[in-house]
This record gives sequence, structure tokens and C-alpha cells, in this order.
Amino acid sequence: MSLDAPPEPDERQDIAAAPPAARTRVLWPVLAFPGTLWLVLLFLVPLYVVLAIVFGQIDPIFRSPVPVWNPVHWNTVQFQDVFSHIIGSDGFFGPALLRTAVYVLSASALCLVIAYPVAYYTARYAGRRRGLLLTLLIAPFWISYMMRMLAWVNLLQNDGLVNRALGLGGLFNVQVDWLNGRGLVVVLGLVYGYVPYMILPLYAGLDRFQPHVLEAARDLGAGRFDTFRRVTLPLSIPAIVAAVLLTCLPMLGDYFTNDLLSASPSTSMVGNLINNSVLTPGQTGQAGAFVLLVLVVSLVPMIIYVRSARSEGVAS
Amino acid sequence: MSALTGWWSDPFRKPRVLQTLTVGYLLWSLLPVVIAVVFSFNAGRSRTVWQGFSFRWYWGDPERSVWHNDSLHTALTHTLVLGVLTTAVTIPLGVAFALGVDRWHGRLPSGANLLMLLSFVIPETLLAVALLFLVTQLTTPLQLGTSAQVAGLVTFQLSYPVVIVRARLVTIGKQYEEAAVDLGASPLGAVRRVLLPLLAPAIFASTVLVFADVIDDFVIVRYLSGDSSSEPTSVKIYNTARAAPSPALNALASLMLLASFLAVALGLLAYRWLRRGERGERGIESFAAGG
Amino acid sequence: MPHSPDDPSDRQPESVGSEGEPARRRPVPIDRRSFMRRAALGAIAGPALLDFLAACSSNNVAGPSGGSTPAGFQIASPDNPVTWPIYKDNKPIKSGLKPQAGSTLRLYNYDDYIGPKVVKEFEKKYDVKVTVSTFNDTDEALTKIRSGKVLYDIYFPSYDQIAKMVTAKLIRPLNHSYIPHQSNLWAEFSNPWYDGEWRYTVPYTVYTTGVGWRSDKIPADIGGMANPYDSLWDPTHKGRVAVIDDWHTAMAMVALRAGITDINTQKAKDLTVIKNQMLDLNAKTNPKVTITMYNDLPAGQLWLAQMWSGDIVNAQYYLPKGTKPDVLAYWFPEDGKGEVDNDLMVILSGGQNPVAAHYFLNHMLDTKNALDNFGYIGYQPPQNALDPAKVVADGYVPKNLESAVVRREWFTAGYRLLELPPAADAAWHAIWQQFKAGG
Repeated sequence: MSLDAPPEPDERQDIAAAPPAARTRVLWPVLAFPGTLWLVLLFLVPLYVVLAIVFGQIDPIFRSPVPVWNPVHWNTVQFQDVFSHIIGSDGFFGPALLRTAVYVLSASALCLVIAYPVAYYTARYAGRRRGLLLTLLIAPFWISYMMRMLAWVNLLQNDGLVNRALGLGGLFNVQVDWLNGRGLVVVLGLVYGYVPYMILPLYAGLDRFQPHVLEAARDLGAGRFDTFRRVTLPLSIPAIVAAVLLTCLPMLGDYFTNDLLSASPSTSMVGNLINNSVLTPGQTGQAGAFVLLVLVVSLVPMIIYVRSARSEGVAS
Repeated sequence: MSALTGWWSDPFRKPRVLQTLTVGYLLWSLLPVVIAVVFSFNAGRSRTVWQGFSFRWYWGDPERSVWHNDSLHTALTHTLVLGVLTTAVTIPLGVAFALGVDRWHGRLPSGANLLMLLSFVIPETLLAVALLFLVTQLTTPLQLGTSAQVAGLVTFQLSYPVVIVRARLVTIGKQYEEAAVDLGASPLGAVRRVLLPLLAPAIFASTVLVFADVIDDFVIVRYLSGDSSSEPTSVKIYNTARAAPSPALNALASLMLLASFLAVALGLLAYRWLRRGERGERGIESFAAGG
Repeated sequence: MPHSPDDPSDRQPESVGSEGEPARRRPVPIDRRSFMRRAALGAIAGPALLDFLAACSSNNVAGPSGGSTPAGFQIASPDNPVTWPIYKDNKPIKSGLKPQAGSTLRLYNYDDYIGPKVVKEFEKKYDVKVTVSTFNDTDEALTKIRSGKVLYDIYFPSYDQIAKMVTAKLIRPLNHSYIPHQSNLWAEFSNPWYDGEWRYTVPYTVYTTGVGWRSDKIPADIGGMANPYDSLWDPTHKGRVAVIDDWHTAMAMVALRAGITDINTQKAKDLTVIKNQMLDLNAKTNPKVTITMYNDLPAGQLWLAQMWSGDIVNAQYYLPKGTKPDVLAYWFPEDGKGEVDNDLMVILSGGQNPVAAHYFLNHMLDTKNALDNFGYIGYQPPQNALDPAKVVADGYVPKNLESAVVRREWFTAGYRLLELPPAADAAWHAIWQQFKAGG
């Protein structure tokens, strides 16, 4: 529909009925209402149910959760139970939480080390092949996470292609058991899984600044490394922050990468603690407590992200 | 040595290290998937030893191929059903929300916007567990299975159209609709006849994005699945990969891959068509960046 | 809720400027009047919302999801056999009905734990569509069933959940007139200790829990050790070991290793021993915790694992081409003093197709079907026609896995995994949670 189409007669009559400003004032809230209601009912209310379960009771026979809706009657036994097991002599959740932090941070750092040069190259040097390169970079984004993990599960079998490649095709008999509880494999799995989510925001950020800024730096005598260190890197900090947050946050809840690539308690992450206890009688409230814990921990990065998204205009 | 420093200080030298890294990354990220697709054509049961080419795992095998194994093609259809239903709910809801929140100023809309952004970045597992509790603890119209899955997915995906449409709204500005209103259009008429056509590329890009993301979703759909008929491909892959996988699983995953790529390719073509004639058209990048 | 136009916040510009520059917002002071108004609104809306949530709470709703909490439940054991009551509001179905053609029967089962062929035959014979949904462990399964949000017809648990299920009326009493093939079963199953007069259950399979290993990879004779369970703690096998992902099955093995023969112990002292041994297990061999040994052992991913007898029998079908079944080995105490259990088939009261479910139970107890199914899943049915002495000769089990054949007399000698009272159950689960946290 073209812009210069004349308004239709019936719409002209509408104007006569009420001043446009007043009607606009009604229109926007009406448009925003369904989405807002949806978010309240299916985002805020569920989080409240988590609270009601964590601070609720446990059925004495089935040990299923009995949510308590009124905060006045909340009881903190389950919450305290979880926290008493994080630090101290009986703190058996502590190592798993620490492990989560180590895995998530090292995987994110590795992601950045891989993603930054790739995004930088694509944004600055790809030239005519940029379209093709971007298509290839985006491809893993469209391939299901599970399929990509399945691919690695197959490759890392004891008789899989990785071991055979290491054995130079049968020259040696390499029998590395990659899939039996190796933390490194889990971290690399996380990197493999989440790195595409990092490349795109980095690329978008690096692509945005103008080449003449860099040329100016060069003209002023800065070498390649100096230009990068003093111009490119500082300018790309917001993109780095956004990209790291976008990969860190989902990793915090990840349990399936670990399940598929290790399945050993020695690599359990907080996601596994949640997943193991959600459906276990008597421990549902503890799963809820871990959900709250992760939520509180991720709230800070989430707010940083939201703020940076706002100052960028809108998150993109 | 001097050759090396000379090369180093030459600002126009080829960035070979970066180039190698990029190519290496692409191989690392795509080769495993290619191998997995290749093994879906294996004639034998092994996922590690090549035993000849066949379509056995697609339709040849009378019991375990994707075509003949009920549970595998149920998974495939359920995935597509979830994709279509979720997209159909998310896009109108999200576009209306984006328009409303963008143009209506005040605390309420900015609170709603904050809520939306939080739903965008919350770790998915947390949202999934919270929704599972909601569905199991409260009597709602939602049942574990398709209805709960769609509700959960819409919540998680709602931010995509909102974010993308709002980004587009910023570049469009208000002058067109104001001109339309000045010329006598009603506010709704201005939205319908001026804004929506201008937003079409953004709406379209988010449609494709939401669809492709939904058919890959795992965490929400697994927690909110009911019986086997509501287990989509990703859940099937997860369950079977931990038990006794056969190349039929690779075949299933390859078909999903095909579906994703078809959706994206069609989307890209249509997107180009929608934005034809616009300056600064850069195809896939602006598509990927969401218009 | 429409905003009142006199609210000053309405006039504030949004933070997003057209140039992408954040318009710094100063906090708008809230005047007293609007504060009071909001507080009043909150005071009214808050409790109303809570009441609404409470009214929606499914725990208040009677029905299959089981609202009212029973006062307590009995625990059946071989020394304390129980015959469950039949409640007025949960009676068997009427006799003489036929399954509805074209209807769907929903099974809820472990993965790979029923043969597709017997299922297909049932579908053909009665024109009923059968779907199989799977669970990872029975805790998870019972939680989902109890939520009342999934409506399965038949569930395959062990007897360690039966008291809970009967008391909460989650399962239906059986109408025996539909299940004549029950007479094919070992006589003790017509009046089992966990369900006198088989009012609610029929047995599905019998199995032992022992240790399976690859004799081609591990030269030592595990079965010949003084305490074969010790092998799972042997650091030389580190990274190639697994235990079963079921709290009670795995922890009972740990108890037996430590010489605690009461594998349902409630003594704090015993539980401490079990806990320490479990943590030691993590430290010594870093085991996988899984139920997929039937695939991983033949694939060579695992060399040594705690295993169910049925899984080691089933493993022969998962060996790669060219590997003979004689690389598989299984140990279970010769005197039967280990974990001996049986699984059940029960009809869930939330299911929509109880008639077809009765027919299905009978179908599975038919000797031919039971043997077909045995050939597929590797788990032995307690059929009279199946002479444990001849299972090897008949080709169901290879000679080297003779130890995986379940002998009838072991059901008197062996130890059973029983239901635990809530407090003990919590204590066991807490140890399992700690073990799985890897801490």
C-alpha cells in the first residue's frame, strides 16, 4: 500500500467524531495490552509459583510440593536447607556451583577468543565473500543444538572418527574415552554449542563503526596493533559485553550438554542440580531454590544487558 | 627478520592469521554436522563406521526408518505443528506489543518493556521450570503437551518480534503516520495502512526467526511435554542419543536441518522481495540482524 | 489499566531517543496522594490475587491427581504381606466389555523396554493404536502421573511405589475376568506379598541386579573376586565404569558391598556408611550414572557396570558387527543373596482406555507374546512355560551369560527394594542428591 493513498471517506468521518490525539492515546495501550497480559500471566505468575513452592510445604506422604500462596505463611526450611549445603562442612552443592562458574566463565572466554577474530575478519576483510561467509557463520544458528551435540557424541565414541584420526587411521590404537566424565569435553561442548550466539552480536557491533575512524588512526601514525588496541577494541566493548552476556546466561541453565557428553556426577553443573531434583519427590522445592539462586545471580548481568540494550536504542 | 617486520608494519598486508582462524572455525563448526548428515545415509547400523550408501534410515528399513517408525515421524510433525502454532500466536502479539509500548509513554509501558527484555535474557531452564510448576500446580486451561508447550514457547519468543519491530520503528520515525493522520486517517487506519506496510520486512524477518528458533527448541518443550505424541525432534534426539541411537536419528536430524534451511531460504528470498528498491540493501546481513 | 492523564510520569519522554542517545531520566518524585492510591490498590489487589491463585491450585481439586492426603500408608514386604483394599470410589471396570476400535492406548515405560512386535500385534488384533511414552526413572514418572496432567493407561513400575499409588487411587483394581492368561505365571504371583490376590498388579518381568563387564577388555575375573562389587571402586577402571541411574538400585548395591544386607535400612549408621562409600566411588572411578549400559557396554564405551540381568542379555543385540556375544560377562551371587526384583504392569486410573488396558495386560501374559517380548528386551517373564534351566538351551541367553538367568528360588533368598517410609525415603534421596552433585 503506498503512502500517498488518500484517506478513505469513512475515515474522514471518524475524525469528526473525536480529536485524533485522544483516540491515539487509547490505541497504544489497547495494542500493548494483550502482550503485557501474556507476560504477566506466563512470566511473572510462574516466577511467583516458584516462590510459593520454595517457601511452601511438602506433602508428608508423597513428599510432593504443596505451594503456599500467601507470603505471610511462607516457611524458609527448604530454602535454608539448600543454603546450608552450599558452604561449610556439609556443603556438597558448593563444588557443583563452583564448577558451574568455572565452566561457564572458561567456556565464555574461549567463545570470545574464537568469536572475536572471526567476527572481526568478517566485518573488516571479507570483501566480496562477505555474504557467503555470513551465511556459513549463521548456519549453525539454524542447526538444532541437539543435532550438533549428537554429531559430537558420534565423533567422540571410543571407535569414533576422532580417536581414529588421532590414531592416524589405524596406525595406533587410540582409545581415549572422551565421553566418560571429562570436564574439558563438557567445556568444549559448551563452546561449540554457544559460540554462534556470540559471533552474530560481535559482528553486528564491529560492522557498525565507520572505516574512516580506523583510517584516521592509521593516518595519525598508529600501527595495526595500536589501531586495534586503542581504537577498535575500546569501540567494540559494548558489543563484547552484550555478546558475552548472551552466551553466559543460557549456559547457566544448561544441563543437557553435560548429560550428553559426560553423564558423570563429577561434571554436574547447577542446571543438572535443577534438572535432577525437579521431579524427585521432596526435592522440588530445592529445585525451585536453585532456580531462584541462578535467577538472582543472573539478574545483575541481565540488567546490565537490558541497560546496554536501551542505550543502543533497542536490543538487536 | 627485516622481511618479517616489514610485513608486520605493512598496513595493507593480507590478514592471513585471521583468515586461517576463520576458515578453521568454519570447518570446526560445520564439519561435524556434515559428517552426521553423511552417516544418515549409512547402510549399516553403525554411526562411526561407513558401510555403504543407502536410504535405509529414511524409508528403506521397515521398522526403524524415519518413514516407518511412528515415533520418529510423530516427532517430526509435532515439531512443525509447534513451529506454526507458536509463530502464529507470537507474531501478532509481539507486533502489537511493540507498537503499543513504543508509542505509549509512561511507567506502565516501560515496565512492560522491561518485563519483555527480561524474558529475552532469562536462562531458558529457569523459565521452563517455572512454567512446569505453573502448569502442574495450578488449574489452568494448559495441559502438559501441545497447549503448555505453545504457551511457554510464545513467552520465550515474544521478545524477538518486539525487539526487531522496535528497531525498525526507530528508523522509520513518526513522520509517516503523523502525515497520514494529518491527511485524515484514523490512528488505527494509519497503523494499518502506513506503519504495517513499512514494518513488513521486520515482521517477516521475525516470523522466520521465531519459526526457526521454535523448531530447534529443547528445554521448554521437554519440560512441558506430555506423552510421546508431544515430544518433538529435539527431545527425541536427546532421549535416544542417551540410550541406543541408530543412524535413523541422524536421518531425523538431517530432515530437521532441511526444514530449517528451507524456512530460512524462503524467508530470505521473500525478505529481499519485500525490501526491493530500498537503499543500502545488504541481503543476508540485515536479515540476520533482523531488518 | 488506563493511566490517569494527570500523572506527571505520563509526560516523561521514553528513554529511547531517535538518535539512539539515551535520554537520561530523572526519577519522578511520587506525590503522596498517588502513593496512597497505589498502596491502597496494592492492598486490595494483592490478597485478591492470592485468593485467586489458591482457588486455582490443583491440590484442592479432587480427582485422579489425588487431592486429599491419606493419613499414612502401609509398607508391604515379604515378611509383611499386604492385601490392598478396594475403595468405593475406585472399583474395577465391569466385565464383558470390548476395547473401542480406533481408540488409543497410552503406555508409560522405560525406553527399549517393550518389544515393538508384540505391540504391533495387539494394535492389529484389537484395532487400537498404542503409543509408548518413556521416562528415565520411576520417581520422575510418579511425579508426572500424580500431577494429573498426563493421562497414560498403563505404567510399568516396580513394587516400591505400590502403596502410594493404591492409597492415592492412582491405579485401578483389576477385573480378573479379562486376564485369564494370569494362570501362565509362576504360582507365587497369584498371591504376591506386595499385592495379595493380585488385586492391582500383574508381574511383567523378573530380574537380578549384578555386575556386567567386557571380558575382552578386563582380564581379571571379576566374578571370581571375593567381593565382586569392589571392582566398581577399582581405580584401574576409572572412566569406564557406570552405575544405574536409580537411587535405590545403586545405593542398595553400595550397601551390599559394605555388608549391609538390609537394603532398606533406616539406621543412620548404615546410611552414613553408604554415603561415604558413594562419595568414595565418585573419587575412585568417576562413574557415569545412566541406564544405558545395554548400549554402552557392547559399544565399548563402558567396560564395567552395575547392571540389570535383562540389560546384559539385551546387550548381545547391540554388539557391533563382528563382535561375538562371548565378550559379555555378568556376575550375580550364586546363592541369590543380591538384589532380586520384579516389575509390574498397572492400569492407571487417570487413563482413558481401561478396557483396552485390561486386554493389553492379558496380551502380554500370553506365553507366546511374553517369550517374543523376552527375545526383544532381554528381561525374563515369570512364565511357567519358560524353564530357567532351558533358557540357554533355547537360545534366549548365550552360554556365557547363564548367570543372568533368574532362578525361581532366588525370590526367597534375595533382597528386595521396598518402599520406604517418607522420612527414610528423604534420607536416602538426600545421599543420592549429594552423590549426583559430584561434591
